Amino acid sequence: MIYLITALDAEARPLCEYYRLKRDTSLPYTLYRSEEMVLLVSGMGRTNALMALSALLGWRIPEDKDILINIGICGAPLEYRIGEALLIHQILDGDRRYYPDILYSHLLRETSMRCVDTPQSLCGDYPVDMESSAIFQAASRFFKLHQMAFLKIVSDHCTPELVTKEGVMELLRSHVDTLDTLISRLRAIQKESSFFSADERDTIDVFKTRFTKSQGDALEDALTYFRFRNKGKFPPLNLLIPNSKRERSLLLEELIATLTA
Amino acid sequence: MKNSSQPSPPKLFSHLYIERDVLDHPQSQMIRRKFADSQVILIDHYKEVFNRPSQSFAAQSHSKKLILARKEGKFLHEGSQYSDGFGHEQFFYASSVKGCLYDCDYCYLQGLYPSANTVLFVNLEDVFEQLRPYLGKVTLVATSYDTDTLAIESLTHQTSMWLDFADQYENLYLEIRTKSANIKSLRSIFPNPRVTLAWTLSPQEIVDRYEHATPSLEKRLGAVAEAITLGWKVRLCIDPVIYTEKFAILYPELIEQIFRTIDPEAIEHLTLGSFRMSQSHLRSLKKLRRSDVAFYPYIVRDEMATYPEAIETHILETLLAKATQYLPKERIRTWQRQS
Repeated sequence: MIYLITALDAEARPLCEYYRLKRDTSLPYTLYRSEEMVLLVSGMGRTNALMALSALLGWRIPEDKDILINIGICGAPLEYRIGEALLIHQILDGDRRYYPDILYSHLLRETSMRCVDTPQSLCGDYPVDMESSAIFQAASRFFKLHQMAFLKIVSDHCTPELVTKEGVMELLRSHVDTLDTLISRLRAIQKESSFFSADERDTIDVFKTRFTKSQGDALEDALTYFRFRNKGKFPPLNLLIPNSKRERSLLLEELIATLTA
Repeated sequence: MKNSSQPSPPKLFSHLYIERDVLDHPQSQMIRRKFADSQVILIDHYKEVFNRPSQSFAAQSHSKKLILARKEGKFLHEGSQYSDGFGHEQFFYASSVKGCLYDCDYCYLQGLYPSANTVLFVNLEDVFEQLRPYLGKVTLVATSYDTDTLAIESLTHQTSMWLDFADQYENLYLEIRTKSANIKSLRSIFPNPRVTLAWTLSPQEIVDRYEHATPSLEKRLGAVAEAITLGWKVRLCIDPVIYTEKFAILYPELIEQIFRTIDPEAIEHLTLGSFRMSQSHLRSLKKLRRSDVAFYPYIVRDEMATYPEAIETHILETLLAKATQYLPKERIRTWQRQS
Protein backbone atom coordinates (compact mmCIF):
# COMPACT_ATOMS: atom_id res chain seq x y z
CA MET A 1 0.00 0.00 0.00
CA ILE A 2 1.17 3.52 -0.81
CA TYR A 3 0.20 6.15 1.74
CA LEU A 4 0.12 9.69 0.34
CA ILE A 5 -0.37 12.54 2.79
CA THR A 6 -1.23 16.08 1.76
CA ALA A 7 -2.31 19.02 3.88
CA LEU A 8 -4.65 20.66 1.37
CA ASP A 9 -7.44 19.43 -0.82
CA ALA A 10 -5.91 21.41 -3.67
CA GLU A 11 -2.75 19.31 -3.32
CA ALA A 12 -4.77 16.10 -3.28
CA ARG A 13 -7.04 16.77 -6.24
CA PRO A 14 -4.51 16.38 -9.10
CA LEU A 15 -3.26 13.18 -7.47
CA CYS A 16 -6.79 11.79 -7.17
CA GLU A 17 -7.32 12.48 -10.87
CA TYR A 18 -4.01 10.98 -11.91
CA TYR A 19 -4.25 7.84 -9.79
CA ARG A 20 -8.05 7.59 -10.15
CA LEU A 21 -8.68 7.52 -6.45
CA LYS A 22 -12.19 7.28 -5.02
CA ARG A 23 -13.50 9.01 -1.93
CA ASP A 24 -13.59 6.79 1.15
CA THR A 25 -15.68 7.75 4.17
CA SER A 26 -14.29 5.22 6.65
CA LEU A 27 -12.62 7.92 8.75
CA PRO A 28 -13.68 11.42 9.82
CA TYR A 29 -10.96 12.79 7.54
CA THR A 30 -10.83 13.38 3.82
CA LEU A 31 -9.62 10.12 2.39
CA TYR A 32 -9.27 8.79 -1.17
CA ARG A 33 -8.41 5.23 -2.10
CA SER A 34 -7.61 2.76 -4.79
CA GLU A 35 -6.53 -0.85 -4.41
CA GLU A 36 -2.90 0.03 -3.89
CA MET A 37 -3.02 3.60 -2.65
CA VAL A 38 -4.59 5.67 0.09
CA LEU A 39 -4.46 9.46 0.10
CA LEU A 40 -5.13 11.40 3.27
CA VAL A 41 -5.86 15.13 3.37
CA SER A 42 -4.76 16.01 6.88
CA GLY A 43 -5.55 19.71 7.03
CA MET A 44 -2.97 22.39 7.72
CA GLY A 45 -0.58 22.41 10.65
CA ARG A 46 1.15 19.93 12.91
CA THR A 47 -1.81 19.11 15.15
CA ASN A 48 -4.12 18.31 12.26
CA ALA A 49 -1.43 16.24 10.58
CA LEU A 50 -0.60 14.31 13.73
CA MET A 51 -4.24 13.49 14.51
CA ALA A 52 -5.28 12.60 10.98
CA LEU A 53 -2.28 10.41 10.23
CA SER A 54 -2.48 8.64 13.60
CA ALA A 55 -6.13 7.84 12.88
CA LEU A 56 -5.30 6.52 9.42
CA LEU A 57 -2.36 4.37 10.53
CA GLY A 58 -4.26 3.02 13.52
CA TRP A 59 -7.09 2.05 11.20
CA ARG A 60 -4.97 0.52 8.49
CA ILE A 61 -1.66 -0.63 10.02
CA PRO A 62 1.17 -0.56 7.46
CA GLU A 63 3.20 -3.62 6.45
CA ASP A 64 6.90 -3.98 5.69
CA LYS A 65 6.44 -3.36 1.97
CA ASP A 66 4.28 -0.24 2.38
CA ILE A 67 5.57 3.26 1.85
CA LEU A 68 4.49 6.74 2.90
CA ILE A 69 5.05 9.99 1.03
CA ASN A 70 4.19 13.41 2.36
CA ILE A 71 3.70 15.53 -0.74
CA GLY A 72 2.78 19.18 -0.82
CA ILE A 73 3.84 22.74 -1.33
CA CYS A 74 6.41 24.72 0.64
CA GLY A 75 7.73 28.23 0.89
CA ALA A 76 11.42 28.64 0.21
CA PRO A 77 14.27 31.15 0.00
CA LEU A 78 15.08 32.70 -3.38
CA GLU A 79 17.75 30.12 -4.25
CA TYR A 80 14.96 27.57 -4.77
CA ARG A 81 13.03 27.89 -8.04
CA ILE A 82 9.25 28.16 -7.94
CA GLY A 83 7.94 24.78 -9.09
CA GLU A 84 11.12 22.94 -8.07
CA ALA A 85 10.58 19.57 -6.38
CA LEU A 86 12.63 18.99 -3.23
CA LEU A 87 13.39 15.78 -1.39
CA ILE A 88 13.77 16.45 2.31
CA HIS A 89 16.67 14.81 4.18
CA GLN A 90 16.36 16.68 7.47
CA ILE A 91 13.32 18.20 9.15
CA LEU A 92 14.03 20.90 11.72
CA ASP A 93 11.41 21.75 14.28
CA GLY A 94 12.66 23.92 17.12
CA ASP A 95 15.34 21.86 18.85
CA ARG A 96 14.12 18.61 17.31
CA ARG A 97 15.50 17.08 14.15
CA TYR A 98 14.13 14.24 12.07
CA TYR A 99 15.90 12.28 9.35
CA PRO A 100 14.12 10.13 6.79
CA ASP A 101 16.52 7.54 5.28
CA ILE A 102 17.15 8.13 1.59
CA LEU A 103 18.53 4.76 0.52
CA TYR A 104 17.85 5.04 -3.22
CA SER A 105 19.36 7.08 -6.01
CA HIS A 106 17.33 9.93 -7.45
CA LEU A 107 17.70 13.14 -9.43
CA LEU A 108 15.85 15.47 -7.08
CA ARG A 109 17.41 18.35 -5.18
CA GLU A 110 17.80 17.40 -1.54
CA THR A 111 17.51 19.85 1.29
CA SER A 112 16.73 20.39 4.94
CA MET A 113 13.36 21.89 5.82
CA ARG A 114 11.92 23.79 8.74
CA CYS A 115 8.51 22.89 10.03
CA VAL A 116 6.82 26.04 11.32
CA ASP A 117 3.57 27.13 12.97
CA THR A 118 2.24 29.62 10.45
CA PRO A 119 2.77 30.59 6.81
CA GLN A 120 6.04 32.55 6.63
CA SER A 121 6.40 36.02 5.14
CA LEU A 122 10.09 36.18 5.90
CA CYS A 123 12.47 33.72 4.30
CA GLY A 124 14.98 32.00 6.55
CA ASP A 125 17.74 29.57 5.68
CA TYR A 126 15.64 26.61 4.52
CA PRO A 127 12.32 25.85 2.85
CA VAL A 128 9.37 25.76 5.25
CA ASP A 129 6.20 23.75 5.63
CA MET A 130 3.73 23.23 8.47
CA GLU A 131 3.19 19.46 8.73
CA SER A 132 6.36 17.49 8.01
CA SER A 133 7.67 17.05 11.58
CA ALA A 134 4.28 15.84 12.83
CA ILE A 135 3.93 13.46 9.91
CA PHE A 136 7.42 12.11 10.58
CA GLN A 137 6.62 11.64 14.27
CA ALA A 138 3.37 9.80 13.66
CA ALA A 139 4.66 7.77 10.71
CA SER A 140 7.88 6.62 12.39
CA ARG A 141 5.78 4.69 14.91
CA PHE A 142 4.54 2.52 12.06
CA PHE A 143 7.12 2.77 9.27
CA LYS A 144 10.87 2.27 9.16
CA LEU A 145 12.75 5.41 8.22
CA HIS A 146 13.50 4.17 4.70
CA GLN A 147 9.82 3.57 3.98
CA MET A 148 8.92 7.26 4.08
CA ALA A 149 9.75 10.30 1.98
CA PHE A 150 8.95 13.97 2.06
CA LEU A 151 8.48 15.54 -1.37
CA LYS A 152 7.88 19.29 -1.38
CA ILE A 153 7.23 21.60 -4.30
CA VAL A 154 8.26 25.24 -3.98
CA SER A 155 5.14 27.38 -4.29
CA ASP A 156 6.46 30.80 -3.24
CA HIS A 157 9.40 32.74 -1.90
CA CYS A 158 7.70 33.41 1.43
CA THR A 159 4.78 35.24 -0.12
CA PRO A 160 2.02 32.85 0.98
CA GLU A 161 -0.65 35.45 0.22
CA LEU A 162 0.09 35.00 -3.48
CA VAL A 163 -0.48 31.24 -3.46
CA THR A 164 -3.80 30.29 -5.05
CA LYS A 165 -5.76 27.07 -5.08
CA GLU A 166 -5.41 26.83 -8.87
CA GLY A 167 -1.67 27.49 -8.59
CA VAL A 168 -1.27 24.69 -6.06
CA MET A 169 -3.19 22.27 -8.26
CA GLU A 170 -1.05 23.18 -11.24
CA LEU A 171 2.18 22.69 -9.26
CA LEU A 172 1.09 19.24 -8.10
CA ARG A 173 -0.14 18.30 -11.57
CA SER A 174 3.24 19.20 -13.03
CA HIS A 175 4.96 16.77 -10.63
CA VAL A 176 2.91 13.59 -10.89
CA ASP A 177 5.76 12.01 -12.85
CA THR A 178 8.21 13.05 -10.13
CA LEU A 179 5.96 11.37 -7.59
CA ASP A 180 5.64 8.27 -9.76
CA THR A 181 9.40 7.92 -9.98
CA LEU A 182 9.82 8.45 -6.26
CA ILE A 183 7.21 5.79 -5.55
CA SER A 184 8.97 3.26 -7.74
CA ARG A 185 12.36 4.03 -6.15
CA LEU A 186 10.98 3.72 -2.65
CA ARG A 187 9.15 0.52 -3.41
CA ALA A 188 12.21 -1.07 -4.96
CA ILE A 189 14.10 -1.00 -1.66
CA GLN A 190 11.36 -2.44 0.52
CA LYS A 191 11.74 -6.05 1.56
CA GLU A 192 9.24 -8.84 1.22
CA SER A 193 6.75 -8.42 4.00
CA SER A 194 6.62 -12.04 5.07
CA PHE A 195 9.24 -14.73 5.20
CA PHE A 196 6.66 -17.52 5.25
CA SER A 197 3.45 -17.52 3.24
CA ALA A 198 0.14 -17.13 5.08
CA ASP A 199 -0.54 -20.88 4.78
CA GLU A 200 2.92 -21.75 6.04
CA ARG A 201 2.47 -19.29 8.91
CA ASP A 202 -0.78 -20.99 9.89
CA THR A 203 0.82 -24.43 9.77
CA ILE A 204 3.72 -23.29 11.94
CA ASP A 205 1.45 -21.61 14.46
CA VAL A 206 -0.81 -24.66 14.78
CA PHE A 207 2.19 -26.98 15.10
CA LYS A 208 3.77 -24.77 17.75
CA THR A 209 0.71 -24.97 19.99
CA ARG A 210 1.71 -28.56 20.84
CA PHE A 211 4.99 -27.43 22.36
CA THR A 212 6.21 -25.08 25.07
CA LYS A 213 7.06 -21.48 24.20
CA SER A 214 10.81 -22.09 24.14
CA GLN A 215 10.41 -25.31 22.11
CA GLY A 216 8.19 -23.40 19.69
CA ASP A 217 10.83 -20.67 19.33
CA ALA A 218 13.53 -23.28 18.67
CA LEU A 219 11.33 -24.88 16.02
CA GLU A 220 10.65 -21.53 14.37
CA ASP A 221 14.41 -20.83 14.27
CA ALA A 222 15.05 -24.22 12.69
CA LEU A 223 12.34 -23.64 10.07
CA THR A 224 13.82 -20.23 9.28
CA TYR A 225 17.26 -21.82 8.95
CA PHE A 226 15.80 -24.46 6.63
CA ARG A 227 14.05 -21.82 4.49
CA PHE A 228 17.25 -19.82 4.12
CA ARG A 229 19.16 -22.91 3.06
CA ASN A 230 16.42 -24.29 0.79
CA LYS A 231 14.89 -21.35 -1.04
CA GLY A 232 11.14 -21.64 -1.45
CA LYS A 233 10.89 -25.04 0.23
CA PHE A 234 8.86 -25.83 3.30
CA PRO A 235 9.12 -29.12 5.17
CA PRO A 236 6.03 -31.25 5.89
CA LEU A 237 4.85 -30.63 9.46
CA ASN A 238 2.16 -33.29 9.60
CA LEU A 239 3.93 -35.49 12.12
CA LEU A 240 1.87 -37.34 14.66
CA ILE A 241 2.49 -35.54 17.94
CA PRO A 242 2.83 -37.93 20.89
CA ASN A 243 1.03 -37.18 24.13
CA SER A 244 3.99 -37.91 26.34
CA LYS A 245 6.04 -34.82 27.17
CA ARG A 246 9.30 -36.74 26.87
CA GLU A 247 8.42 -38.21 23.47
CA ARG A 248 7.34 -34.79 22.22
CA SER A 249 10.69 -33.34 23.23
CA LEU A 250 12.52 -36.15 21.46
CA LEU A 251 10.44 -35.67 18.34
CA LEU A 252 11.18 -31.96 18.32
CA GLU A 253 14.88 -32.56 18.84
CA GLU A 254 14.94 -34.92 15.84
CA LEU A 255 12.97 -32.50 13.70
CA ILE A 256 15.29 -29.61 14.51
CA ALA A 257 18.33 -31.79 13.81
CA THR A 258 16.87 -32.75 10.41
CA LEU A 259 15.98 -29.17 9.50
CA THR A 260 19.41 -27.81 10.40
CA ALA A 261 21.54 -30.71 9.15
CA MET B 1 2.09 3.76 -11.68
CA LYS B 2 3.62 4.58 -15.05
CA ASN B 3 7.23 4.62 -14.00
CA SER B 4 8.52 1.29 -12.83
CA SER B 5 12.23 1.71 -13.52
CA GLN B 6 14.61 0.06 -11.08
CA PRO B 7 16.91 2.51 -9.32
CA SER B 8 20.62 2.29 -9.86
CA PRO B 9 22.50 1.26 -6.74
CA PRO B 10 23.06 4.24 -4.49
CA LYS B 11 26.56 5.62 -4.22
CA LEU B 12 28.59 4.68 -1.13
CA PHE B 13 28.39 7.48 1.43
CA SER B 14 25.89 9.44 -0.67
CA HIS B 15 25.14 11.38 2.50
CA LEU B 16 27.66 12.88 4.91
CA TYR B 17 26.18 13.78 8.26
CA ILE B 18 28.67 16.10 9.94
CA GLU B 19 28.64 17.42 13.47
CA ARG B 20 28.89 21.21 13.35
CA ASP B 21 31.86 21.12 15.73
CA VAL B 22 33.99 19.02 13.38
CA LEU B 23 32.97 20.65 10.11
CA ASP B 24 36.32 22.44 9.95
CA HIS B 25 38.43 19.54 11.24
CA PRO B 26 41.10 18.73 8.63
CA GLN B 27 39.84 15.17 8.28
CA SER B 28 36.26 16.36 7.70
CA GLN B 29 37.50 18.74 5.04
CA MET B 30 39.51 16.00 3.36
CA ILE B 31 36.51 13.66 3.34
CA ARG B 32 34.23 16.38 1.98
CA ARG B 33 36.66 16.91 -0.88
CA LYS B 34 36.75 13.18 -1.55
CA PHE B 35 32.95 12.94 -1.56
CA ALA B 36 32.27 16.23 -3.25
CA ASP B 37 29.02 14.95 -4.80
CA SER B 38 27.56 13.71 -1.53
CA GLN B 39 24.84 15.51 0.35
CA VAL B 40 26.20 17.30 3.43
CA ILE B 41 23.81 17.48 6.36
CA LEU B 42 24.81 19.39 9.46
CA ILE B 43 23.95 17.78 12.77
CA ASP B 44 24.58 18.62 16.41
CA HIS B 45 25.47 15.13 17.63
CA TYR B 46 26.08 11.86 15.80
CA LYS B 47 23.54 10.03 17.97
CA GLU B 48 20.66 12.01 16.49
CA VAL B 49 21.31 10.10 13.24
CA PHE B 50 23.08 6.91 14.34
CA ASN B 51 20.75 6.10 17.23
CA ARG B 52 17.43 7.00 15.58
CA PRO B 53 14.57 4.64 16.36
CA SER B 54 12.95 2.77 13.44
CA GLN B 55 16.09 2.30 11.36
CA SER B 56 16.47 -0.82 9.23
CA PHE B 57 20.00 -2.23 9.49
CA ALA B 58 19.31 -4.55 6.57
CA ALA B 59 18.05 -1.81 4.25
CA GLN B 60 20.81 0.60 5.25
CA SER B 61 23.45 -2.04 4.50
CA HIS B 62 22.85 -1.45 0.79
CA SER B 63 23.30 2.31 1.08
CA LYS B 64 25.66 3.19 3.88
CA LYS B 65 26.01 6.79 4.97
CA LEU B 66 28.98 8.38 6.73
CA ILE B 67 28.70 10.33 9.96
CA LEU B 68 31.62 12.51 11.04
CA ALA B 69 31.77 13.23 14.74
CA ARG B 70 33.89 14.05 17.73
CA LYS B 71 34.24 11.24 20.24
CA GLU B 72 33.56 12.31 23.77
CA GLY B 73 34.73 10.28 26.77
CA LYS B 74 36.44 6.90 26.55
CA PHE B 75 38.02 5.80 23.31
CA LEU B 76 39.66 2.76 24.89
CA HIS B 77 37.82 -0.29 26.17
CA GLU B 78 39.11 -3.45 27.80
CA GLY B 79 39.28 -6.47 25.49
CA SER B 80 36.34 -8.84 25.72
CA GLN B 81 36.14 -12.55 26.61
CA TYR B 82 35.34 -13.33 22.97
CA SER B 83 38.79 -12.31 21.81
CA ASP B 84 42.42 -13.14 22.48
CA GLY B 85 44.71 -10.67 24.27
CA PHE B 86 47.79 -12.73 23.31
CA GLY B 87 49.15 -12.63 26.84
CA HIS B 88 49.91 -8.90 26.98
CA GLU B 89 49.72 -7.20 30.37
CA GLN B 90 46.97 -4.89 29.17
CA PHE B 91 44.64 -5.35 26.25
CA PHE B 92 42.40 -2.61 24.93
CA TYR B 93 40.48 -1.98 21.82
CA ALA B 94 40.02 1.47 20.42
CA SER B 95 36.66 2.53 19.06
CA SER B 96 37.51 5.32 16.69
CA VAL B 97 35.00 4.07 14.13
CA LYS B 98 31.53 2.64 14.66
CA GLY B 99 30.25 0.41 11.92
CA CYS B 100 31.98 -1.39 9.10
CA LEU B 101 32.15 -0.95 5.37
CA TYR B 102 31.77 -4.68 4.99
CA ASP B 103 28.52 -6.49 5.58
CA CYS B 104 29.11 -9.93 7.07
CA ASP B 105 26.02 -11.91 8.02
CA TYR B 106 27.66 -13.29 11.17
CA CYS B 107 28.96 -9.96 12.45
CA TYR B 108 28.02 -8.93 15.98
CA LEU B 109 27.89 -5.28 14.94
CA GLN B 110 24.39 -5.96 13.61
CA GLY B 111 23.40 -6.73 17.17
CA LEU B 112 25.51 -4.03 18.75
CA TYR B 113 24.45 -1.00 16.71
CA PRO B 114 21.03 0.28 15.68
CA SER B 115 22.38 1.47 12.33
CA ALA B 116 24.43 0.10 9.43
CA ASN B 117 25.91 3.55 8.84
CA THR B 118 29.50 4.35 9.72
CA VAL B 119 30.50 6.87 12.37
CA LEU B 120 34.03 8.14 12.00
CA PHE B 121 35.42 9.95 15.02
CA VAL B 122 37.82 12.45 13.52
CA ASN B 123 39.60 13.40 16.78
CA LEU B 124 41.97 10.43 16.83
CA GLU B 125 44.51 12.67 18.58
CA ASP B 126 42.39 12.27 21.74
CA VAL B 127 42.80 8.45 21.71
CA PHE B 128 46.53 8.88 21.85
CA GLU B 129 46.17 11.24 24.82
CA GLN B 130 44.03 8.67 26.63
CA LEU B 131 46.43 5.85 25.85
CA ARG B 132 49.69 7.51 26.96
CA PRO B 133 49.17 7.00 30.74
CA TYR B 134 48.93 3.21 30.21
CA LEU B 135 52.08 2.85 28.22
CA GLY B 136 54.35 2.25 31.24
CA LYS B 137 53.24 -1.38 30.86
CA VAL B 138 53.23 -3.66 27.85
CA THR B 139 49.92 -2.93 26.16
CA LEU B 140 48.14 -4.41 23.19
CA VAL B 141 45.63 -2.23 21.37
CA ALA B 142 43.31 -3.67 18.76
CA THR B 143 42.71 -0.72 16.46
CA SER B 144 40.24 -2.42 14.18
CA TYR B 145 37.87 -3.99 16.62
CA ASP B 146 34.35 -2.75 15.95
CA THR B 147 35.16 -1.99 12.34
CA ASP B 148 37.71 -2.71 9.62
CA THR B 149 40.00 0.31 9.65
CA LEU B 150 42.15 -0.84 6.71
CA ALA B 151 39.04 -1.05 4.53
CA ILE B 152 38.54 2.69 4.91
CA GLU B 153 42.19 3.67 5.25
CA SER B 154 42.19 5.73 2.06
CA LEU B 155 39.41 7.76 3.63
CA THR B 156 40.62 8.07 7.20
CA HIS B 157 44.40 7.49 7.31
CA GLN B 158 43.80 6.26 10.86
CA THR B 159 46.03 3.20 10.46
CA SER B 160 48.91 5.39 9.34
CA MET B 161 48.35 7.63 12.35
CA TRP B 162 48.34 4.63 14.69
CA LEU B 163 51.55 3.34 13.14
CA ASP B 164 53.24 6.72 13.59
CA PHE B 165 52.12 6.75 17.22
CA ALA B 166 53.25 3.17 17.87
CA ASP B 167 56.73 4.04 16.60
CA GLN B 168 57.17 6.33 19.61
CA TYR B 169 56.25 3.86 22.37
CA GLU B 170 58.16 0.65 22.93
CA ASN B 171 55.50 -0.87 25.19
CA LEU B 172 52.76 -0.42 22.65
CA TYR B 173 51.73 -3.36 20.50
CA LEU B 174 49.06 -3.04 17.86
CA GLU B 175 46.80 -5.56 16.24
CA ILE B 176 45.17 -4.44 13.03
CA ARG B 177 42.58 -6.99 12.05
CA THR B 178 41.14 -6.85 8.57
CA LYS B 179 39.52 -8.52 5.60
CA SER B 180 40.78 -5.78 3.33
CA ALA B 181 43.11 -6.19 0.39
CA ASN B 182 43.99 -2.52 0.57
CA ILE B 183 47.49 -2.27 1.98
CA LYS B 184 48.64 0.65 -0.14
CA SER B 185 49.19 2.72 2.98
CA LEU B 186 51.64 0.17 4.37
CA ARG B 187 53.94 0.24 1.37
CA SER B 188 55.56 3.54 2.34
CA ILE B 189 55.94 2.76 6.07
CA PHE B 190 58.87 0.95 7.65
CA PRO B 191 57.43 -2.22 9.27
CA ASN B 192 57.15 -2.08 13.04
CA PRO B 193 57.83 -5.48 14.71
CA ARG B 194 55.31 -4.61 17.46
CA VAL B 195 52.50 -4.33 14.96
CA THR B 196 50.63 -7.40 13.81
CA LEU B 197 48.42 -7.37 10.77
CA ALA B 198 45.75 -10.02 11.24
CA TRP B 199 43.80 -11.21 8.24
CA THR B 200 40.50 -13.00 8.57
CA LEU B 201 40.28 -15.65 5.88
CA SER B 202 37.34 -17.77 4.84
CA PRO B 203 36.72 -20.23 2.01
CA GLN B 204 35.52 -18.39 -1.10
CA GLU B 205 32.15 -20.12 -0.86
CA ILE B 206 31.73 -18.71 2.66
CA VAL B 207 32.89 -15.27 1.46
CA ASP B 208 30.29 -15.36 -1.31
CA ARG B 209 27.53 -16.50 0.98
CA TYR B 210 28.13 -14.54 4.16
CA GLU B 211 30.81 -11.86 3.76
CA HIS B 212 29.12 -9.32 1.49
CA ALA B 213 31.15 -6.49 -0.01
CA THR B 214 34.45 -7.99 1.15
CA PRO B 215 37.48 -8.74 -1.06
CA SER B 216 37.77 -12.25 -2.42
CA LEU B 217 39.94 -14.84 -0.68
CA GLU B 218 42.43 -14.59 -3.53
CA LYS B 219 42.76 -10.83 -3.10
CA ARG B 220 43.17 -11.14 0.66
CA LEU B 221 45.88 -13.75 0.18
CA GLY B 222 47.57 -11.43 -2.30
CA ALA B 223 47.57 -8.68 0.34
CA VAL B 224 48.91 -11.09 2.98
CA ALA B 225 51.76 -12.16 0.69
CA GLU B 226 52.64 -8.56 -0.09
CA ALA B 227 52.57 -7.52 3.59
CA ILE B 228 54.97 -10.36 4.40
CA THR B 229 57.27 -9.36 1.56
CA LEU B 230 57.24 -5.80 2.89
CA GLY B 231 58.41 -7.15 6.27
CA TRP B 232 55.22 -6.88 8.33
CA LYS B 233 54.35 -9.36 11.04
CA VAL B 234 51.25 -11.26 9.98
CA ARG B 235 48.71 -13.42 11.76
CA LEU B 236 46.08 -15.39 9.91
CA CYS B 237 42.68 -15.97 11.43
CA ILE B 238 40.27 -18.64 10.33
CA ASP B 239 37.80 -17.24 12.74
CA PRO B 240 34.86 -17.38 12.81
CA VAL B 241 34.45 -20.77 11.20
CA ILE B 242 30.90 -21.10 9.90
CA TYR B 243 29.77 -24.69 10.08
CA THR B 244 27.95 -25.83 6.96
CA GLU B 245 27.33 -29.19 5.34
CA LYS B 246 30.52 -28.68 3.32
CA PHE B 247 32.69 -27.70 6.27
CA ALA B 248 34.90 -30.78 6.06
CA ILE B 249 35.78 -29.97 2.45
CA LEU B 250 35.83 -26.18 2.43
CA TYR B 251 37.98 -25.42 5.45
CA PRO B 252 40.77 -28.02 5.01
CA GLU B 253 40.95 -26.86 1.38
CA LEU B 254 41.23 -23.28 2.65
CA ILE B 255 44.26 -24.20 4.75
CA GLU B 256 45.83 -25.93 1.76
CA GLN B 257 45.14 -22.90 -0.42
CA ILE B 258 46.60 -20.52 2.17
CA PHE B 259 49.85 -22.42 2.45
CA ARG B 260 50.19 -22.86 -1.29
CA THR B 261 50.47 -19.06 -1.40
CA ILE B 262 51.98 -18.18 1.99
CA ASP B 263 55.14 -19.56 3.54
CA PRO B 264 54.08 -20.97 6.94
CA GLU B 265 57.39 -19.78 8.40
CA ALA B 266 56.46 -16.22 7.54
CA ILE B 267 53.39 -15.99 9.73
CA GLU B 268 53.35 -15.34 13.44
CA HIS B 269 50.26 -17.36 14.33
CA LEU B 270 47.29 -19.04 12.85
CA THR B 271 44.14 -18.47 14.88
CA LEU B 272 41.26 -20.92 14.68
CA GLY B 273 37.86 -20.33 16.21
CA SER B 274 34.31 -21.30 15.53
CA PHE B 275 31.41 -18.86 15.43
CA ARG B 276 30.35 -17.54 18.84
CA MET B 277 28.28 -14.61 19.89
CA SER B 278 26.65 -13.13 22.96
CA GLN B 279 23.06 -14.22 23.27
CA SER B 280 21.76 -10.67 23.20
CA HIS B 281 23.54 -9.89 19.94
CA LEU B 282 22.26 -13.15 18.47
CA ARG B 283 18.73 -12.16 19.39
CA SER B 284 19.16 -8.90 17.51
CA LEU B 285 20.54 -10.79 14.52
CA LYS B 286 17.47 -12.99 14.48
CA LYS B 287 15.20 -9.98 14.44
CA LEU B 288 16.96 -8.74 11.32
CA ARG B 289 16.33 -12.12 9.66
CA ARG B 290 19.10 -11.66 7.12
CA SER B 291 20.84 -15.03 7.04
CA ASP B 292 20.72 -18.64 8.19
CA VAL B 293 23.74 -18.00 10.45
CA ALA B 294 21.49 -16.45 13.08
CA PHE B 295 19.14 -19.45 13.18
CA TYR B 296 21.44 -22.40 13.73
CA PRO B 297 20.51 -24.29 16.94
CA TYR B 298 23.42 -23.01 18.98
CA ILE B 299 24.02 -23.95 22.57
CA VAL B 300 23.69 -20.99 24.90
CA ARG B 301 25.62 -21.09 28.13
CA ASP B 302 26.67 -18.15 30.30
CA GLU B 303 25.02 -15.80 27.81
CA MET B 304 27.25 -17.04 24.98
CA ALA B 305 25.95 -18.89 21.93
CA THR B 306 28.29 -21.46 20.38
CA TYR B 307 28.01 -24.58 18.27
CA PRO B 308 27.22 -27.69 20.30
CA GLU B 309 30.37 -29.03 21.94
CA ALA B 310 30.63 -32.04 19.61
CA ILE B 311 30.56 -29.79 16.52
CA GLU B 312 32.93 -27.27 18.05
CA THR B 313 35.38 -30.05 18.86
CA HIS B 314 34.96 -31.53 15.37
CA ILE B 315 35.71 -28.13 13.83
CA LEU B 316 38.83 -27.59 15.88
CA GLU B 317 40.14 -31.14 15.53
CA THR B 318 39.63 -31.11 11.77
CA LEU B 319 41.35 -27.76 11.35
CA LEU B 320 44.14 -28.52 13.81
CA ALA B 321 44.91 -31.78 12.05
CA LYS B 322 45.24 -29.94 8.77
CA ALA B 323 47.03 -26.87 10.12
CA THR B 324 49.66 -28.91 11.97
CA GLN B 325 50.75 -30.27 8.61
CA TYR B 326 52.15 -26.79 8.02
CA LEU B 327 52.73 -25.20 11.43
CA PRO B 328 53.91 -26.38 14.85
CA LYS B 329 51.08 -26.51 17.38
CA GLU B 330 52.53 -23.70 19.48
CA ARG B 331 51.98 -21.29 16.61
CA ILE B 332 48.33 -22.20 16.32
CA ARG B 333 45.93 -20.47 18.66
CA THR B 334 42.45 -21.77 19.13
CA TRP B 335 39.30 -20.42 20.65
CA GLN B 336 37.05 -22.89 22.38
CA ARG B 337 34.55 -22.43 25.13
CA GLN B 338 36.04 -23.25 28.52
CA SER B 339 33.88 -26.05 29.87
